[in-house]
Amino acid sequence: MKYLFVFFISAISMFAQVKADDVKSFTLKNGMKIFVLEDHSIPNANMYFFYKVGSRNEYVGITGISHFFEHMMFNGAKKYGPKEFDRVMEANGGSNNAYTSENITAYTDWFPSSSIEVMFDLEADRIANLNFDPKMIESERGVILSERSTGLENDPLEQLWQETQATAFIAHSYQWPVIGWESDIKNWTKEDLENYFHTYYAPNNCVVVISGDVKLSEVKKLAEKYFEPIPAGPKPRSLHTVEPEQTGERRVFVKREVPSPYVLMAFHVPQNISEDYYALELLNSILSQGESSRLYKSIVDNQQLALDVGSTYFDAFDPTLLFIYGIANDGVTAAQLEKSILDELDKIIKDGITDSELQKVKNQKLMQFYQTTETINGMSNTIGTYELFFGDYKKMFTAPEDYKKVTAEDIKNVAAKYFTKQNRTVGILNTEEVQ
Amino acid sequence: MIKILTSNNVKLNLFQPLLAAVVFSFLFLPSNNYAQFKLPKYDVITLDNGLTVYLMEKKDVPIISVSAVFDAGAIKDGEIKGLSSFTAEALKFGTKSYTKNQIDSIFNFYGSSLNTYSRLDFAGIYTQFIKDDIDKLFPVLKDVITNPTFPDEEINKRKQRWAAELEQAKESPRQVIGAYYNKFLFNDSPYGNPVNGTQKSIEKIDRIAVSDFYLKNIRPENCAVAVVGDFDADKMKEQLVNYFAGWNSTTPRLINDTRENEKPLKESAVYLINKDNAKETTFMIGGFGVPMSNQDQIQIDVINTILGGRFTSWLNDELRVNAGYTYGARSRFASYKTAGTFYISTFTATKNTEPAIDLAIKTYNRLFEKGIDEATLKSAKNYVKGQFPPDYETAGSLAGFLTQKYIYGLEDSYINDFEKTVDGMTVKTANEIIKKYFPKDNLQFVLIGKADVIRDIAKKYGKITEKNISEDGF
Repeated sequence: MKYLFVFFISAISMFAQVKADDVKSFTLKNGMKIFVLEDHSIPNANMYFFYKVGSRNEYVGITGISHFFEHMMFNGAKKYGPKEFDRVMEANGGSNNAYTSENITAYTDWFPSSSIEVMFDLEADRIANLNFDPKMIESERGVILSERSTGLENDPLEQLWQETQATAFIAHSYQWPVIGWESDIKNWTKEDLENYFHTYYAPNNCVVVISGDVKLSEVKKLAEKYFEPIPAGPKPRSLHTVEPEQTGERRVFVKREVPSPYVLMAFHVPQNISEDYYALELLNSILSQGESSRLYKSIVDNQQLALDVGSTYFDAFDPTLLFIYGIANDGVTAAQLEKSILDELDKIIKDGITDSELQKVKNQKLMQFYQTTETINGMSNTIGTYELFFGDYKKMFTAPEDYKKVTAEDIKNVAAKYFTKQNRTVGILNTEEVQ
Repeated sequence: MIKILTSNNVKLNLFQPLLAAVVFSFLFLPSNNYAQFKLPKYDVITLDNGLTVYLMEKKDVPIISVSAVFDAGAIKDGEIKGLSSFTAEALKFGTKSYTKNQIDSIFNFYGSSLNTYSRLDFAGIYTQFIKDDIDKLFPVLKDVITNPTFPDEEINKRKQRWAAELEQAKESPRQVIGAYYNKFLFNDSPYGNPVNGTQKSIEKIDRIAVSDFYLKNIRPENCAVAVVGDFDADKMKEQLVNYFAGWNSTTPRLINDTRENEKPLKESAVYLINKDNAKETTFMIGGFGVPMSNQDQIQIDVINTILGGRFTSWLNDELRVNAGYTYGARSRFASYKTAGTFYISTFTATKNTEPAIDLAIKTYNRLFEKGIDEATLKSAKNYVKGQFPPDYETAGSLAGFLTQKYIYGLEDSYINDFEKTVDGMTVKTANEIIKKYFPKDNLQFVLIGKADVIRDIAKKYGKITEKNISEDGF
């Protein structure tokens, strides 16, 4: 089926392979929206569940509970008790994982397509009837504390990240780390978990994506059998806290013994659904994607001031942060590294970018799109991400075109608009604070 | 680019045990009959200069993946540890026709990148690009492989950063524990070589050393190129012949047949690596494993899946799920051309060091004391079969397999008979595999943590050799 379209592609659509129309969807009576992409290239399939809940839905005292909850989803329901979810899934050839961000919690199952009905049964059980075994809660607390500590132990940047983010936001719940603060991890209760489940884990707060060696008609039948009987819940209350405009540079210092300093900058930027999104995302690529990117080429390669530099702009529902980090080379001070990053930003603000740079990052985006479509995993994750963060999965397929519309001037403008001193938070991690 | 951990607190992926898998088998009878997965058709040709080329058409996405490998891994480092790895990267430092900047810019411009790497047994280059851009990129790739010039300036710049990176890497015990482990097991023999070298060894690298390593080891008869993706195989064959037929090395070929003679481990021993600011103990426990040529690789993998290769594995179930000591515990066989290791690995808060190590050993010993039962074996068989096809879903992973074939002499039957081999396992053969391949006695331990606090605990497990993590090397 896929190959047929190769001969009919026009110049408008560069994508011969998967097309937006290949993705089918239906909504169950309880409000659960399900996307299906048939792809028979390997005898496998996957199932992604995107819940619109993340650390942004938390408050002080229960920070990290979204992520803890993610773990508890594997610890027993009604039909399948503690440990049974994983045992049954693996015995049927499947594996699973999950991730939590500030904005969403996503659950993933990867399985041979012949085991699809087991997956529906397992998932329906935990969505409808999750159970909280006090013993499992306690052992999972230990797991999470280990997850938190091993992240900090192995990566100084993670420690700096947490403190910089906490400094950049003063009102919005994006200020605490997804994994939560240690004292909250140690103290939340079974009741907190139950409340969370009832507030956010209703089928109408979930988008499901299934890709691979499946048939739409069969998926529909199974969804109606297993998921539709789960009752809808009340719509969770929407968040109203708006981060006030930052009025001056903020700085934070983290003391930790390291061979050379780490620098992290955070600039307030808008969420996915905003007119500046595509220009900012291309600017992000211009800064740090590949050896020819501005930051890498200048700071790592030419000036030898850093061992590594990078930037990220995460998907977000609310106004968020664009991060730029650098790890100093031997003998380079934090101040030197910070200045070199700011100098690169100033160059873009002042002189803009070249046409060739613009074309490069557009090409990188097209390549990224193709790489996503290479695997059924990439497809499911991206379909769900676009549906949630852009309000429409089709935006995934128009992304290369949407990026094409961005001009060099747009990029210069967003750089000038957001890379200001007033809008930034600078975090430094070092053995000693140098005055 | 670093993956930001704060936004990705993932339930542990790879390692997720079975105490009694029988409980659920009445619900959904785990079925063994998954659709078979076969290696797609491919061509292999050998050019007159000895270069091996693999071609596989795969047209579902308009991209092409190229994997080139050289029999030039870190086991050939000789006196200068890290030379293989450095040389692999130095291929991109400039060629007769392109400067380093041009190479980076051209690949990046087309949305691509050129990735070089080195492992113990081989070195390689990997890239992926949009099919329409092949004529722009292949000439550069060809020049990088066949005409590198190794300019002094680029070598010196990179050397300085490389040494600093080695120091930086020690901030992360999980990043470096593998190098300590191989060093402890293999000592000064080639499989003990730290792939990225040491600060002292990197200092010795210069243009002469790199050129010399290149001429001896990166040559057509030591190299395979696999191209997988959206192209016409006949035309591609012609193009590749055009690009690579002229590649000839005039330096005499060196026959270097590195073989590892493992010295038997006569006693349990502990390599204690002190990290003053550690709040965790990161550890590996194990011994020698099997070489890539071992015919029982797949069966060994099934058993290891039960022990420490999935979320419900015994180790993860005990150490993570039951005890809450760690975010994840696993075990693995790392196989090389003529040697191999086996290890259990995990990490835990310093205060849990002793109970976690004891529990890991106790759980491991279940293999020898109780063995594997029918239900557990069945579950593991289904698991490895069900998870197998996605490993070969992309052009890149298929190109990777083809070049691994070249390096390790793997047969297509590894993929094509995978299910048959797994299905053929019985409880009897499973327990034989355990006895034959899982090291039972004289276990070796590497512990990275706060030595003053864990030294007395470490003594329990064997004779201690101690080192500070800040000391150069491993």
